[in-house]
Amino acid sequence: MAAPSTTSSVYLHVIGDVITKVREEFVNNGGPGEEVLNELQGMWETKMMQAGAVLGPVDRSANTKAPPGGAAAPVHDLNVPYEGTEEFETPTADMLFPPTPLQTPIPTPLPGTVDSNLYNIPTGSSDYPTPSNDGVGNSSGNTEIKAGRPSPYMPPPSPWMNQRPPLGVDVNVAYMEAREDGDRGTSHQPHTQDFFTASGKRKRDDFVQHYQNGGYIPQQDGAGDAVFEDSQITEKTTTLPAADTRNRQMLAHVGRPLSKIPQVDGQTPDPYDEMLSTPNIYNYQGVVSEDYNIASTPAPNDLQAGTPAIGVHNDVGEDEDEDEPPLNENDDDDDDLDDVDNGEELNTQHLVLAQFDKVTRTKSKWKCTLKDGIMHINNKDILFNKATGEFDF
Amino acid sequence: MATFELYRRSTIGMCLTETLDEMVSNGTLSPELAIQVLVQFDKSMTEALETQVKSKVTIKGHLHTYRFCDNVWTFILQGATFKNEDSPEEVGRVKIVACDSKLLTQ
Repeated sequence: MAAPSTTSSVYLHVIGDVITKVREEFVNNGGPGEEVLNELQGMWETKMMQAGAVLGPVDRSANTKAPPGGAAAPVHDLNVPYEGTEEFETPTADMLFPPTPLQTPIPTPLPGTVDSNLYNIPTGSSDYPTPSNDGVGNSSGNTEIKAGRPSPYMPPPSPWMNQRPPLGVDVNVAYMEAREDGDRGTSHQPHTQDFFTASGKRKRDDFVQHYQNGGYIPQQDGAGDAVFEDSQITEKTTTLPAADTRNRQMLAHVGRPLSKIPQVDGQTPDPYDEMLSTPNIYNYQGVVSEDYNIASTPAPNDLQAGTPAIGVHNDVGEDEDEDEPPLNENDDDDDDLDDVDNGEELNTQHLVLAQFDKVTRTKSKWKCTLKDGIMHINNKDILFNKATGEFDF
Repeated sequence: MATFELYRRSTIGMCLTETLDEMVSNGTLSPELAIQVLVQFDKSMTEALETQVKSKVTIKGHLHTYRFCDNVWTFILQGATFKNEDSPEEVGRVKIVACDSKLLTQ
């Protein structure tokens, strides 16, 4: 347990340090202001907690908030928050009289300054945004902060979170969080939720949302994007791989007549299935004049051939791009490690980030000395000052 | 001061990047400022690792892949064991990415 807690405190120190040092940029020179900075810090810390890299609210108030109070704070952390405090009120006064028009920054130093226990007792449910927000009814930025801040009664990272790498976790957890927060009636949540979701697969979702929100968008380019998006979803549900180019062309054609129907989400799957099974569609498709020759010529063969097994159909389509894809696939089959490697790269699972001092090799024995590293191993973050590695190749 | 962007791939770095990403998408934050924050993170993280972390780790394992490109070593280990003060951690497969420490001191 020692290692994670150290990691947690170092992380919190880094967060505090970064926030402190960019404060000037936020406040001066027409920056977005201190509130945005606090929002940034809140969201950052929340994500860290959700990722399990930073221990719960207690640690947060003890470390991140304590620096201003000076409990276990590194020197340079002590200074800046204090300045922020002095600009407005003395910490004690703020603490005793919450209704005083407070800027958001003020409550920050308080917990540490007065007594962090005060904040720990209510399990953080009276987390600092509460006094300033409720008492003063500050600008809308505060709601955002509230939303961004770790929800005090947020359950500790559950096992399923730990099973996943940080990135994947965050997307999902954030989504869950959003729903929980939504129960609390936080107005900002839907907005945030979108972005959380977006970070996973931004483009596709954005498109879909655009079309859904905007209702019918006149299509001038004939690409039938909306239909295509939906058909992709359809494919997902039917566990089809991504559509190959030929499919796109076909979809574009089917989509054209459809695109005149305002309904973007409901009916699309049916025409798609129809298209796969019913030859009549080609007659229908013929109505669209200019692209008819281009796409429909290969389409019928392709479709009829592909109908029995859709998965095969798509594979064939991919193979047609080049001769390479099947070769690569075989390679992957031979060497599963490559797949795993890619997966890990995406998921940043079991990753060591460090600087090397020296790397040597004698025959098949490799030795390396690393320093200043961050390891993410078995869902734990471990920091090291020095590391020596001995590998055999 | 030179910094590595290396640590942005860590948990803390990814969390920050995501946060900034959201805030930029929100329009709350300008991209320029977001980058400044990231650069500051590079500095702070490097500094914190130098000054606040004292632990030592030994790594053993079978080297599956090695690569040295643009002054960055990448090792992929199989059956790796990480030993620090606490307890050894066994990992079936781990990737090590290491930048040249000399680049920082230049």
